[in-house]
Amino acid sequence: MRERRPNRVTGPGHDEFWTYCKAGELRLQRCDQCRHLSWPPGDVCESCNGTSLTWELLSGRGRVVSWCTFERKYYPELEVPWDTILVELDEGPLFISNPRGFTNESIEQDTPVVVEFLECEDDEGDFALPVFHKE
Amino acid sequence: MQKNRWLGVDVNDLMESVHLDPSASGRVAIIGLGETDYGADYRAARLKGPEYVAPDAESLACRAFERALSDSGLQREDIDGLCASFPYGGSTPSSFAAASQLKPGHTIPSGNEPWCGHGGMAPFVAAVEAVATGKCDVLAVVHCLPSKAVGRQYGGHTYSGGGRDSYYYYHPWGWSSQAAHWAMMYSYYQAKFSVAESDLGAVALTLRENAMRNENATMRSPLSIDDYLSSRFIVRPIRLFDMCLVNDGAVCFILTSTGQATNLAHSPVILAGWGNATVAHSKMHSMVRERLSSQLGAAGAEALAMAGVTIADIDHFEGYDASSIHLINQLEGYGFVEAGAGLEFWKDGNTAKGGRIPTNTGGGMLSGAYLQGWNLVAEVVRQLRHEAGPRQVGGAEVSMFSYAETDSAHPIVFTRHT
Repeated sequence: MRERRPNRVTGPGHDEFWTYCKAGELRLQRCDQCRHLSWPPGDVCESCNGTSLTWELLSGRGRVVSWCTFERKYYPELEVPWDTILVELDEGPLFISNPRGFTNESIEQDTPVVVEFLECEDDEGDFALPVFHKE
Repeated sequence: MQKNRWLGVDVNDLMESVHLDPSASGRVAIIGLGETDYGADYRAARLKGPEYVAPDAESLACRAFERALSDSGLQREDIDGLCASFPYGGSTPSSFAAASQLKPGHTIPSGNEPWCGHGGMAPFVAAVEAVATGKCDVLAVVHCLPSKAVGRQYGGHTYSGGGRDSYYYYHPWGWSSQAAHWAMMYSYYQAKFSVAESDLGAVALTLRENAMRNENATMRSPLSIDDYLSSRFIVRPIRLFDMCLVNDGAVCFILTSTGQATNLAHSPVILAGWGNATVAHSKMHSMVRERLSSQLGAAGAEALAMAGVTIADIDHFEGYDASSIHLINQLEGYGFVEAGAGLEFWKDGNTAKGGRIPTNTGGGMLSGAYLQGWNLVAEVVRQLRHEAGPRQVGGAEVSMFSYAETDSAHPIVFTRHT
């Protein structure tokens, strides 16, 4: 059963990200010039504006930095309370996501987590959403 | 080069700054102030009686302007510069000028010229620049936000698109809204500094006490810590009372050059210094782990240096309280108190009336009104005129106002004309 989710942003850069997710890969754009890893996707490096970017396969590992739980309903697709987490990927970027297999009631800073891909759908169709379970 | 300890990059690479001409320091004075009836308008909007008509942007702006003009003691014909800002539409500078019977020789089209830094204070800075560079003698700047009347929403799919670092992006994970920004910050703060759940409530309580001394404030009934702790969460751990209001209003200031600000009914309030710094990239890092300390520190130092004062000289502070936690971020980031000690500092009464640095004395945006910080500048004017009545900060000579979004800091230092 696919989870219904609010619509993704699609278009150049975004489409590549979601295509990799569908293949079970978490990839972000590494700048060939300054080596900075950008997130969210863009057409230039967010640090040096370099135009040569390579989609680098990441380890999918990270640690919980912060979290919050929506009690007010902002999206018709999602029930509250709705947990979100901020994960520091081992490669550096901070990534907003959802906890999988645990909730924010028993969460601690620096908890090690690993990515998994959740089968979802939105108005654009099926997609795989990167979420995180405890290591 | 100073390296950021998390990201290993030069801290300056994380910031974009718009440096304004320091020679403008001390050359521009606020000589007129007008605000709409925040509390009365809010109650009427909530009551929605049979006669109720939601205020339109232009009529709000005209009301604020007429009061500012009257307050300044000048004649309508004296106004030769206009900056009329309608972020939510509803009027234009030319339409407003016609409605107010103004014939300004110099009109600032949008107030969003790229040099003046982004954000809700952009029209104000554009207005200051126009007066400082002699484009006009007496300028009216009005900022109108009928946020409630237009049904402004602050989360979900109400926004789309936006830049790379905009918060609009995280829809598929169900993460949006301003409240979520503050919640991510505060969860981190709570865990890092071992803060109790009730500690943040002290901010809302103090600002409510301040609002009770302000007849024009929106929320004036007493607020207890039990009220706070039993209020609903918007995005846990941020509660209803940690969030700013949504109301209708407009603020107008009359500006002129300091040299011309003589023989007036009220003491002129002088713009002494300002700074600006915005997150360049890696917003989540700057916002959650650093709580904008790099941006606040750099912009604060710039503003103080331009004004020729130190943080110890600031008598009164008005900070952008889109959320209670963001006010703490600013007190810490500018150096009123060290990082992690802001809530203790607040609970000890340092920011209350009679404390070391009275803060958001009119009730701020949590209990006063939400006008994108413009009402906080209005409170600065009252304090430095020594016309703040029961909430007057004794002997106030220097005030700091801070505009601060989730990714930017824009402090302005004001002084009382001597």
